[in-house]
Amino acid sequence: MIQDYIVFVGVNIVLAWSVYVILLAGSLSFANGGFMAIGAYVSGVLTVKFGFPLVIAALISGIAAGLIGVLAGFPALRTRGIYLMLVTVGIAVSVKAVIESIDYVGGIQGFGGMVGTTPWHVVGLVVLVGGGLALLSRSPLQRILDAVREDELSAASLGINPIYVKLTCFGVGAFLAAVAGSFYAHYLIHVSPDQVLSVFIVLYAVLGGTNNMWGPPIGAAIMTLTPEFVRGLEAWRPTAFGVVILCLLLIRPDGLLAFRIATTRTKAVAGSKPKQST
Amino acid sequence: MLAEQIINGVVLGSMYALIAQGYTLVFGVLNKLNFAHGEIFMLGGFICVASIALGASLPIAILVTAIIAGLLGLVVEFIGFRKFQSPDAHLTAALSSFAIGLVIIDLSQKIWGAESVAVTLPGTLQTAAVSIGGLRIVMLRLAILVISLLLMLALYVVVTRSSLGRRIRAVAESPTKAALFGINVTRINQQVFFVASMMAGLAGLALALRTGYASSDVGFTFGLKALAIMAIGGMGDLRGALIGGLLIGVLEALAFHWGLGQLADVFVWLLMIVILLMRPSGLFGTLISKEVRA
Amino acid sequence: MDVYPQSILSVDGLSKSFRGLTALDQISLDVRRGEILGLMGPNGAGKSVFINVITGLYPADYGTVRFLGRDVTRLPSYALARLGIARTYQNIRLLRRMTVLENVLVAIKDHVNRPLRSLFTRNRVCFVRAATTLLEQFHLADKRDWLAGSLAYGEARRLEIARALAGKPSLLLLDEPAAGMNERETEELGDTIRASRKLLQAMVIVEHDVAMMRGLADRLVVMDAGHKIAEGKPGEVLAEPNVIEAYLGTDEADE
Repeated sequence: MIQDYIVFVGVNIVLAWSVYVILLAGSLSFANGGFMAIGAYVSGVLTVKFGFPLVIAALISGIAAGLIGVLAGFPALRTRGIYLMLVTVGIAVSVKAVIESIDYVGGIQGFGGMVGTTPWHVVGLVVLVGGGLALLSRSPLQRILDAVREDELSAASLGINPIYVKLTCFGVGAFLAAVAGSFYAHYLIHVSPDQVLSVFIVLYAVLGGTNNMWGPPIGAAIMTLTPEFVRGLEAWRPTAFGVVILCLLLIRPDGLLAFRIATTRTKAVAGSKPKQST
Repeated sequence: MLAEQIINGVVLGSMYALIAQGYTLVFGVLNKLNFAHGEIFMLGGFICVASIALGASLPIAILVTAIIAGLLGLVVEFIGFRKFQSPDAHLTAALSSFAIGLVIIDLSQKIWGAESVAVTLPGTLQTAAVSIGGLRIVMLRLAILVISLLLMLALYVVVTRSSLGRRIRAVAESPTKAALFGINVTRINQQVFFVASMMAGLAGLALALRTGYASSDVGFTFGLKALAIMAIGGMGDLRGALIGGLLIGVLEALAFHWGLGQLADVFVWLLMIVILLMRPSGLFGTLISKEVRA
Repeated sequence: MDVYPQSILSVDGLSKSFRGLTALDQISLDVRRGEILGLMGPNGAGKSVFINVITGLYPADYGTVRFLGRDVTRLPSYALARLGIARTYQNIRLLRRMTVLENVLVAIKDHVNRPLRSLFTRNRVCFVRAATTLLEQFHLADKRDWLAGSLAYGEARRLEIARALAGKPSLLLLDEPAAGMNERETEELGDTIRASRKLLQAMVIVEHDVAMMRGLADRLVVMDAGHKIAEGKPGEVLAEPNVIEAYLGTDEADE
């Protein structure tokens, strides 16, 4: 049904963006699946057991996840590359294990009764987040993030506080993942740790290209929709994902949309063309 | 009984150690993480099941599993790592091995179904037990423990004493320098992958024999935990992987004994995070048999 | 030694060790308003460590640093930058994947001090204009859309200095700016530095190039093995026997 498409694609787009936001500060987070699950569960408990309205519950779960995201950001200040990868994987796995051990929310089975997401919720979320990111990319903050990402040391020499920037990005990324997770859960009606902890989020972002804000949603859209439209692929989704990612990594490691948009539109100075660095 | 649980823990730990050493080998030599490793471990169980179902005796099944797992490792190296040899390609290599892992899980679920598959063993092999000093120890588990330790010992000897081991360590320290000395780095990478995957496959076989089932999610649960164990013990350190594995195995067994089973997982991962923050080189850091790359 | 308002920077008894090796041993000095202070010494003297401690990269073990009268000893790098201490690095640290113009724009104080607020500031023309003017002073305006990573070495160094000045600092610390430069480039660098003087209250330059420092610095401080061994006008300092000895080792005057 068209409704399903809109919701699933929209949720995945926001999830991919949540990874992108954290990536803007220079960290690739494998933990967003965990934040998504936190969002789903916290909002689910709030709506089902306490009668909160969906949007409020989603926001609260977003804030909760955001705080945890900031905590999760601390290790990111001290680790890089593979070590950071491991730490964020550890966070996601820990979240899953903790959820599975809490009987109040049904342990491994999860619990149900969450309703309320309409495609409008998701569309609204996508528009809001997209608008925010577009605003960001045209603002000086984008340059600040670029600076922190590329060279923390020299960014600090310019007066930028890299700790503040990184932790904020983690918090915002976690917030977004959680809100998306909330809407997702309230569409599925029932949640269990396996359902709401997506390990594919990073793949969406990477597939589309992480150099600008349009890459992740395109990656999310492609990965969500392709199995639907190519008959018979539905059952082979993981293999299809795997093969697509592999091909992509071999041919275009930067992702599909791997160009960086300069943050200032300056009138081209006569006679000079921007030179590409190696 | 507590003592029996501890022994169970040691057996469990030896399996963790086997897998963790595989991660460590690849990380130490290629400086990359192989996320398909856990899935080869998972397949070890299925290959064992398939061989026995096809009428092979246990020793043959073990051999077949070892060889097929090793060959799979070569495939993984070729598809997922051959093209990504530069030091900056951590992420791409990790992602591509992750993708391969996904494919492996999916394919095995298509072939054997999504449920666990029982292992049928001849007669009383599964439950035969001995009594040592008043403790009842299942023969099978003892055998697993002994064989695992022997395998790891053999690996250690090869890496530290043989000329192959010297070449492996040379590549681990610097592939460019090793190439300048005439070492065929690709061949070494292949050999490392073969050995690491072989160990993973055998660990999977051991798990299947121990529990009586092969199931498709163990790569994710077990395998990933072995990754955490590698990080705890020291990335690129074989000794650390062994001791880390045994330690965690025992801790988990104790946790189950005291009813805290679920949280054992969280504990392992939190421990890993703490250690990575404080001592990124892990508990054992640099060592004689493997050098951690800066 | 607190002689504000004459001292922009006042360092008292600064000491730093790394695992038992003393890199800085009770260094005290003043940087006076309007001056270019040269910091010289053989390799390993501790000059770069000194700069790194002053700019917050390493915490000092002992001693105090006062900037414009304020105690800034324990502050982190970004805080010092916001107070008006700017620096360049020995191996040029530019944002290579960003354009020349963007490198300067990123240093604008308004944005840096309130990053979240800057989300809502569009790239106003006035910022671009100010950045371009600065680039013109450094003869880089025609390359403003070039990627910083594609600049020649001398130009890259100029850009790094321009960027450091974009934040309107009071004190600029240059760590071996002439490293790797030939004579012509060094001369141009000297011109750039002299032209930048009026934009600042004071400068400290760490350098090896004796000829360059002789012509450029108002005063010199010479370090050796973590100690300050001489201080004063370039002509006098460079003639002192222990300075010559530090540079040439304990050989007798060359035969």
